[in-house]
Amino acid sequence: MKHKISIDTQAFGVGILLFGAIAWLEFVKPSGYSLASLTGGLLTLDMLIRVGLFTIVLVGLNLVMGYAGQVSLGQAAFYGMGAFFSAILTARASVLGIPPALAQAWWWAWVVMLAGMCFVGGIAYLVGLPVLRLRGHYLAMATLGIGVVVYVLLKENLGLAHLNLTGGFDGVAAIPRLRLGEWTIWPVERYFVLVWIVAMGVIWVGLNIVNSRYGRSLRALHSNQSAAESVGVAVHRAKAQIFALSAALASLAGSLYAHFQSAVIPATFGFGESLELVVMSSVGGLASIWGAPLGTLAILLLREILRTQLRVILPSAKGEVEAVAFGLLLIVIMIFMPEGLTTGTLKRYRQWRAHRQLKKELSELLEPLGVK
Amino acid sequence: MGVMKIEWLDKLGKRVATYWLGIVAFLMLLGLIALGSRYNFGVVEYAQFVLDGLRAGAIYALVALGFVTVYRVTGVINFAQGAFIMLGPMMTISFYEQGWFGTPALDLFTGALLAIGITTLIGVLVERLALYPARRTLPLTKVIITIGAYLALQGAALLIWGPQGHVLPAFTTLTPADQSFRFAGLLVKAQSLWIWGTTALALALLALFFERTILGKAMRACAVNRMAAQLMGIRVDMMATLSFAMAAILGSLGGIVLGPVTRPTYDMGLDLALKGFVAAIMGGLVNFPVAVVGGVLLGVLENFWAGVTQAGFKDLFAFVVLIVILVLQPYRFMMDSPTEVEPT
Amino acid sequence: MKVRHELLLVVVSIAMVALFVACAPAPTPTPVPPTAAPTVVPPTAAPTKPPATTASPTTAPTAAPKVGVVYKIGFISAATGAAASLGVPERDVAKLVADQLKAAGGIVGPDGVKHEVQILIFDDQSSADTAATLARRLIEQEQVHVLVASTQTGTSTAIVPIATEAKVPNISMASARSLIEDPQTKKMREWIFKPVPENSHSAGKQAEYLKAVGVTKVCHLYENSSYGQDTLASANAVFPTAGITIVYSDAFDPKATEFPQLAKVKASGCQAVVIGAIPPASPVMNVAVRDALPDVRIVHGHGSCSPDLIKAAGKAAEGTVMPCGKILVADSLPDSDPAKALNLKLIKDYATVSKEPISTFAGHGYDALQWAIAALKTLPNGGALAEQRAKIRTALENLKDFPTTHGLYNTSPTDHLGFNASEFAFVVVKDGKFVVLPKEQWK
Repeated sequence: MKHKISIDTQAFGVGILLFGAIAWLEFVKPSGYSLASLTGGLLTLDMLIRVGLFTIVLVGLNLVMGYAGQVSLGQAAFYGMGAFFSAILTARASVLGIPPALAQAWWWAWVVMLAGMCFVGGIAYLVGLPVLRLRGHYLAMATLGIGVVVYVLLKENLGLAHLNLTGGFDGVAAIPRLRLGEWTIWPVERYFVLVWIVAMGVIWVGLNIVNSRYGRSLRALHSNQSAAESVGVAVHRAKAQIFALSAALASLAGSLYAHFQSAVIPATFGFGESLELVVMSSVGGLASIWGAPLGTLAILLLREILRTQLRVILPSAKGEVEAVAFGLLLIVIMIFMPEGLTTGTLKRYRQWRAHRQLKKELSELLEPLGVK
Repeated sequence: MGVMKIEWLDKLGKRVATYWLGIVAFLMLLGLIALGSRYNFGVVEYAQFVLDGLRAGAIYALVALGFVTVYRVTGVINFAQGAFIMLGPMMTISFYEQGWFGTPALDLFTGALLAIGITTLIGVLVERLALYPARRTLPLTKVIITIGAYLALQGAALLIWGPQGHVLPAFTTLTPADQSFRFAGLLVKAQSLWIWGTTALALALLALFFERTILGKAMRACAVNRMAAQLMGIRVDMMATLSFAMAAILGSLGGIVLGPVTRPTYDMGLDLALKGFVAAIMGGLVNFPVAVVGGVLLGVLENFWAGVTQAGFKDLFAFVVLIVILVLQPYRFMMDSPTEVEPT
Repeated sequence: MKVRHELLLVVVSIAMVALFVACAPAPTPTPVPPTAAPTVVPPTAAPTKPPATTASPTTAPTAAPKVGVVYKIGFISAATGAAASLGVPERDVAKLVADQLKAAGGIVGPDGVKHEVQILIFDDQSSADTAATLARRLIEQEQVHVLVASTQTGTSTAIVPIATEAKVPNISMASARSLIEDPQTKKMREWIFKPVPENSHSAGKQAEYLKAVGVTKVCHLYENSSYGQDTLASANAVFPTAGITIVYSDAFDPKATEFPQLAKVKASGCQAVVIGAIPPASPVMNVAVRDALPDVRIVHGHGSCSPDLIKAAGKAAEGTVMPCGKILVADSLPDSDPAKALNLKLIKDYATVSKEPISTFAGHGYDALQWAIAALKTLPNGGALAEQRAKIRTALENLKDFPTTHGLYNTSPTDHLGFNASEFAFVVVKDGKFVVLPKEQWK
């Protein structure tokens, strides 16, 4: 137990150091160097911001899937609801009759962001109560259904074509940047700092939930629902609560995404995106908060490498080849690290340490006997 | 005896599921007809909706059978099913266009056989190379592996066949334009008959296989209790491979008979797979007849809905129905069904 | 252990607040904004190799007096994903243009200095996120002079704020008006251009035809996509002014196999069906309409201008009409048309990079690249990257009678498209081929 905490703390410390180093590099630009130029263009702020955004979603998803054991194939829906909630209430405020004085105040976007979290979380709670009674693949199917329903509503203008709130397939554009007073959180390096402060805060919350009484009850209902119920865990409420929390986090990430991308379209939040989220989550390690940033980074980096480096090895490589290579690599990762990068690496590290320990003890035992 | 009891429960479950689906479907049909009254539709229009829906439904049913076959034996939701559906018609078109025999009918037939054969081989390879090494992992890991297989196969298809739609000739006329039968204001394409016939045949063959052959019984045994099956000397691994081969046959067959109705593209699989998945879920992922009924009902209701409302909301309907059905039948889905495959 | 966590949080928050405050006193872009580093060449030279040209990227500007800096065009299309059927021809034509430029050794500026031109080709997977990431990469790391991106409206919209902030001209290959014109202020977007005709042009031409043949009631069926929704919006805006009523309109799913909409088309009693879709959706709908209503007049939009329509719809496409870019009917154009020779050459060259017959989408990619190259040709050698980008923008705003696959374009500061609907050819499918349908034969 103590050991685990210390690893989390260490990782957190490393994360902060890395974050600080990158932020320093990007703000100061010592002798013209930046993150992109130092990493050969592989890591850019754009990518790290996206990693941060997905991290926020995935911490929630990992709590639901990895700890509570409830499969969600519709998480992109909540991500999209958050993004469109922010986009509509800031960029299309006039259509809704919100006075410009209010909509143009710097704090409006932040209030909308919080309201979006409450709204999406509340909807997830209400939907979650009946739906989370389902188990296994039925739950997966129901959440997939929620994802499709939200996607269709977004692309069909919520059924209110005359208001054109979501903009149909073309989405909402010209979403304003976030501001603190008169100070705009933009260009990109400022936004990087903002996103990662939020992401680390979310990771910290996630770690605390996992190690709390509540987290233990989640894990209990994961391993055996009836047993958890019999020792007094309010199973259905606990499931709906964690589902709502994950939805609220996805909504937060969606709002931050909307203000980053400045234009949102429904196609970004379809079934494919939900699958991508589950893939990132599995690659990182489901039952691990640290799997969230690592899985996202691994997948985005993999795509980036395929996009930019594959053609160096294979001059004729084009988009189609990238798609094939990505599918194959995904299979390979899942075969060799079925529990994901984090859990898999940790396990190997512990095995290696135990092995070394054993060897040491053995040699200490055997040395006096003259055996090598 | 435990086994007796389990079969009895299973049968009851099947019956209740069918019954519920029927009631829900009937109520929805009434609602849809009420909606349709805005357009002054007559009996002919409704009959046409049902006919068209039956065709789409038959395809969903074929896809669902593929899902159920794999799930029953391995406990895996096989997303690569979408790729099998697409590979069938795409390869058939390529072989057909070679024109080896000079007679279109023979070209088409051998092309289809070859396509099914190669898709089956690909299905076996997916199981052997990608899923077998991960057989001891969580079900979700295996699902991700099948997603990877789907992405790789779809990418390869894009590389080979390009992004545009291809043309598979209708089976009856052997030209892109199909024979149409018109009677009493209704329009039925000859290809629809091929689709219905194929689905019926596939269902009958599957029933025969599972009820009458040793191999089929062995596969069913794996589904009921893998450990016990293994102890009885059944090679569970081989059964898993066989299930993928069967799923590939069903998927590619469905894609091929559907081919002339649409214009096959490299990305046609996933949408069909999703609908087939919905149908399979209605049968609890283990029940063949209910999956078929579910697929057909889904096709008909969806077509009705698109007919009487805005077509953009078509998918919304399918998935709202799904959620309603899932939530309305909590007793069935919440209890651990005796035939549910245990996670490995 | 809990205490340690709390302590950690305090430390972290202090550190972060400090960081935030540290950068706060710099509201104006003093801390080296990402793009204002044109003089910093060394760190950007190495990172990624350009795709098409394997020729030495280390061309020294001072080596030969007659050779200037390398010009870079960033090209993004959707080679995979939902829009692949549009993006792949665009990508192929970009390869073709890159090869041609390489063979010619580059372009010559007004001052006689020769410049190598690299086209960096990338695939956005039909995803707005990937498109945005790629656009940033091309602007910041590759330091491109001009962007040609991207295939769809959604992906192009995602690039609009990035190109605008970085002050890099972007030429989109999508058709929506909102890309070049802010829908709220009705002003041109400073840095965005497109050589792609809009659905409103298409609808105008369709209305002209429908009026001439005496149709007053039409049904409009559109594929459920960005393009399809836009065809309906344009038709709703244009048709009534020509005295044509849309008696029924509905979407259809591009991958659908059953079309219950046709029952309503029948019931509505319209004289013509307008299909707003792109192959493979448009031929499928074409066949379905023909089956259900053997005698109805079928009119397509310019998205259907692709041999795929005829290939996939077969006999059902016979007699359907549509406004099209001239590339499809190049051989039947009069010799006086400047687009004729250009299109015939492109069709011949395109066959070397693609097995597929040429479509209007390859034409869009070609036109966009020709715009970029024409603008690059106006650049005198030297000057900072930011200046050059601004000059390219000005050049793009002043194209006069510029020949493209679609005919002549005239851009201006108030029109970043510069297309005249009269440049559309009105074509009919006859004996499995697209043929020009002259006005006299509209009946």
